[in-house]
Amino acid sequence: MAAKATKVDGADGVTLTIDGQEVTVPQGTTLLQAVQGAGTEVPHYCYHPGLSSPAQCRLCLVEVEGAPKLLPSCTTTVAEGQVVHTESENAVRMRRGVLEFYLLNHPLDCPICDQCGECDLQDYVFAEGREHGRGRDAKRVLGRDDFGGDVLFYGDRCVMCTRCVRFMEEVEEKPLLTVVERGSRAVIDTFFEQGLDQAEWAGNVVDICPVGALVSKDFLHKARAWDLDHTPSICPNCSQGCNIELHTRDNLVHRMKPRTNPDVNGHWICDYGRGRYEWLNGGDRLEAPVMHAGGRKTAMGWTAALEALKARIDTLGESSVKAVVSPFWSNEDLGAVSRLTQALGGGAVVFRSPRADEEVELRGYEGLARRKALAPNEQGAELLRCERVGDDAGQGGLEDLAEHDGVVLILGDALDDQPEGFAPNAALLLYLGAYTSSALASAEFQLPVTTFAEQEGTFTNHAGRVQRFWPALSGPGTARPAWLVLGALLGALQNEEGPSSAEQAFGLVANSVESYRGLDYETIGAQGGPSGARVPVAGD
Amino acid sequence: MSKIPFKNPGWAGNVGEYDLTEEQVRGIDFVGVRPLEGGHAAGSATYPYMLEEKDPEGPLFEGPYQARFEKILTRYPTKRAALLPVLNLAQEIRGHVSPQTMDRVGELLELSSAHVRGVATFYTMYNKRPVGRHLVQVCTNISCNLCGAEDVLKAFLHHTNTEMGATSLDGAFTVIEVECLAGCGFPTCVQINSRYYENVTVDEVPRIVAHLRDKGAGLARSTGPEGEG
Amino acid sequence: MGYPYSHENEVPILSKYFGDPEARTLNGWKERGGYEALKKALNMSPEDVVEIVKASGLRGRGGAGFPTGLKWSFMPKTKASAKAKVKPHYLLCNADESEPGTFKDRELLRWAPHQLIEGCLIGAHAMGAQHVYIYCRGEFFEATQVLAKAVEDGYEAGIIGDDVLGSGKKIDVTVFAGAGAYICGEETGLMNSLEGRRGEPRVKPPFPAAVGAFGMPTTINNVETLAAIPHIVGNGGEWYRQWGSEKSPGTKLFCVSGHVKRPGNYELPLGFPLKDLIYDVCGGMIEDRALKAVIPGGSSVPLLSAEEAMGCALCYEGVVEAGSMLGCASVIVMDETTDIVHQVMRMASFYSHESCGQCTPCREGTAWVTTILQRIEDGRGTEDDLDTLVEVTEQMTGTTICVLSDSVAAPVQSSIEKFRDEYLALIRRGERLGTA
Repeated sequence: MAAKATKVDGADGVTLTIDGQEVTVPQGTTLLQAVQGAGTEVPHYCYHPGLSSPAQCRLCLVEVEGAPKLLPSCTTTVAEGQVVHTESENAVRMRRGVLEFYLLNHPLDCPICDQCGECDLQDYVFAEGREHGRGRDAKRVLGRDDFGGDVLFYGDRCVMCTRCVRFMEEVEEKPLLTVVERGSRAVIDTFFEQGLDQAEWAGNVVDICPVGALVSKDFLHKARAWDLDHTPSICPNCSQGCNIELHTRDNLVHRMKPRTNPDVNGHWICDYGRGRYEWLNGGDRLEAPVMHAGGRKTAMGWTAALEALKARIDTLGESSVKAVVSPFWSNEDLGAVSRLTQALGGGAVVFRSPRADEEVELRGYEGLARRKALAPNEQGAELLRCERVGDDAGQGGLEDLAEHDGVVLILGDALDDQPEGFAPNAALLLYLGAYTSSALASAEFQLPVTTFAEQEGTFTNHAGRVQRFWPALSGPGTARPAWLVLGALLGALQNEEGPSSAEQAFGLVANSVESYRGLDYETIGAQGGPSGARVPVAGD
Repeated sequence: MSKIPFKNPGWAGNVGEYDLTEEQVRGIDFVGVRPLEGGHAAGSATYPYMLEEKDPEGPLFEGPYQARFEKILTRYPTKRAALLPVLNLAQEIRGHVSPQTMDRVGELLELSSAHVRGVATFYTMYNKRPVGRHLVQVCTNISCNLCGAEDVLKAFLHHTNTEMGATSLDGAFTVIEVECLAGCGFPTCVQINSRYYENVTVDEVPRIVAHLRDKGAGLARSTGPEGEG
Repeated sequence: MGYPYSHENEVPILSKYFGDPEARTLNGWKERGGYEALKKALNMSPEDVVEIVKASGLRGRGGAGFPTGLKWSFMPKTKASAKAKVKPHYLLCNADESEPGTFKDRELLRWAPHQLIEGCLIGAHAMGAQHVYIYCRGEFFEATQVLAKAVEDGYEAGIIGDDVLGSGKKIDVTVFAGAGAYICGEETGLMNSLEGRRGEPRVKPPFPAAVGAFGMPTTINNVETLAAIPHIVGNGGEWYRQWGSEKSPGTKLFCVSGHVKRPGNYELPLGFPLKDLIYDVCGGMIEDRALKAVIPGGSSVPLLSAEEAMGCALCYEGVVEAGSMLGCASVIVMDETTDIVHQVMRMASFYSHESCGQCTPCREGTAWVTTILQRIEDGRGTEDDLDTLVEVTEQMTGTTICVLSDSVAAPVQSSIEKFRDEYLALIRRGERLGTA
């Protein structure tokens, strides 16, 4: 993680001058980090905050007064009174020269390269490189190599920064990549056909590759980098809660990239999670509220639907509620179900969730693993006193509920394992879901809600950390967040205003969960906020 | 010390006109025959490589070679440090370092096969493919180049009837060009297997090739620096 | 004395027993006064030994010329009474002699292995090292076996091992054979190679005396440097200064190769005139042809033209004055039949072949320079290429982790400056001005 140039006083800090500006940084900071903290950037390839610094790309050279040679800023630590010039004539000339060497054998295939638009080589050459190359001889050709998994390697574009090799060795601790041969014949490769098959975090090498040498097969030629919108979010595929960005275009998610969070996932996400975003893009979605009465299905607007629902509930009087929620839905949504359940006379809320047999650790980063719980908000559900039922495939466990004769409320879980005509005895069967469900096709009310990618909200990860996500897509039809719908319904039943923002909805949740005391959207921010004691989830 | 200037004996056949015998110059008289299990651990890693390809499917180290392997391991604080000596030893037995050999060495030293591949391909002396019985390495770097090394190289290619880097059809010779062998005072310096041939001129090449071709056939395993003549 | 030819002007200290097979044996070496210096050193404190080496002014003989006593003093001192866990210290002997034109270490290894071993042991004592690794290049099969046998004899005689000469000190020596990489002669490349990795140099700082082999304090010295130690410690620092100059004391093994009548190793005092080395000691040029160029210190230093060579004194400061560097004192003599462009191309292709590939300027630049020179040799060069060569090699200087890429700049730039007509002949008329 880049150290910020914080103002430190006294003996701990080191004061130096960078490009005429005086900065004070903690001892042990490297010049590159100090420059970053001061607001500018020194071009670099091989340095990465999550990896070791071999200082071999030779691009981060800066001029330090008194030193005989230019120094690599990624390994040179600050010293009191240093005067550093990152844009001096020497430094610029040297960088220009080094960039010329990088382009010497580069295929310049930006038109067909996925990295175009987010490529460090493009950026640096455009800023500081030569206008014309001087090489007149044939370039070396290495072609394309399939490394296995999701990773494709274009050898011609490689700048030999060895970030990928060092990631596999130091962070995943499975040295499956190596540099083969030496000198101008050097190339990144795996052990012949073994490839990256045994790796479970190999997708990260695509993220850290500064050029388009390592690309994702899944993303190959799918979209241009500048067409994509980036939205901060949380990975929904297990309870680690890795911070991610959803990259979208035309209301479709095209890929998932990690977002740095030193307390959760560092700079990394696993291959399992990274590859599972398609379910956000499709499926058969509920698009409008539907009321099923007297053999007829009527699609309605929200106002009418909520009025009809309120009327229906009023006729029921006191009746117990049994609810099924989904751990893929946010704290705000689950909290709303919980409050509605209580308001209607109490009852039990359960959820089913898939589980894996084993965790997949990232050995080189403490505390990071693909957890056994394969849903993002199990902990959030448990803290809201929901109970897990069913098996590790996320099925079954609803025998009791199916017989219930009171109010049956389903949020999110499409009950794909259940037969048609679920809960035939229910006094009121209410389905708030994103996807159509054959088991719930005859539910009295089907209300379309948004998935987490289409709304603002929070998840609570396995360690009890509450993390915010933002909407990356717009929901289909008139789908709305479940907290908004249920909040409005509850408000109508109790003659109050429901929450009008996710922040308010979270405030209501925080009131009912002891561990969330003191948390609100501002304190949670973009990096999450740890909550109190975590509830051990069985089988975690 | 003798005042007569002497020339380093190039190869067997020149002995007799000089002050020192070939064994004396090469140190063979001092070193003697080295035991297969490697003698003292301090020097057990330093044997020449052998070019007979042995059973590629069998266990890599057996018997005296296993003893030598274990001696090598005792000299370094980490297993990884033994990688170069162990690859040398494996090449001695198998003649070249194949992917299977890399895999096996990686297993023995608890290293990933990719790491072993990276190391084996970094160093030029690990043969990636089988080579002939006599690996002729001609130095063409500047000191030897000034004294006609490129002609010597062409002569070797011609007389062994091979192309650069390829093995002759009878499996006897592979000729390659190498960098400075540190024999610059004796141009042209040629290394054949583990032995230096010094002051090689174009005229001597046919004799050397014929000599090796005869001697080499049916060669037994090398046990010392002179095993393969 | 020189090998294979000797000369009366020589000062045989290190090379006294070259060509003497008896001197290899342990008893033979002892008869010739061997291991007395070790006994003396073991009776002195480590700091005193370092002082003697400092007083002698010995400079590293591997090419860098860094004062050896100063280098030894960088190692962390271990207090005799310290109960705390002390990091293992290592002494590495760099016998990876791959610089084109250099062949002195091979002779030192195969004729006087015990001299080297004694120097290593004295050095290990002076620096608190418990293990000495002698890294020999892989091609040195015969020399390595002689050295290994000498080490084994040393163990048997109690000179190496748990109780060195009864002093109670434990010093181990291991002979490590490399596998064919010039870059492993660079000190941090050697350490990486010793650790079983690719021999890629590391960035300094941290320096080897702080973090070296296996992450421990390490000193690395060249064979010739360590071979001089027994003589210096045995005779005293001032004794060594009777030869050479103030800044370059002592004797040096000069490796002369190329177009001279008697190429070989000659041990001469530093400061010896290059002119006399070529025309007197080596018997002059082959067939008495005219001198064209001399490389005074191995292929990594600039060429000297014939006139510059005539006025050059072979010591560190003298060669710098003449326009080059002493390096490892490998004198490569080129006569009028030499095709300078071809030889520079061969040197550039050597560096391209041996580059480790970490730093982009070196990895791409050495190959590019070689390609341009090949193109010029084929007659397809242009005059812009000469400017490109000078600028590109300038870009390769001072921008890399190690100095291999700086080494390409030396022959290329100096040959274009001093032998421009050779390049122009090829470019303009496709005409070579030499045959070799």
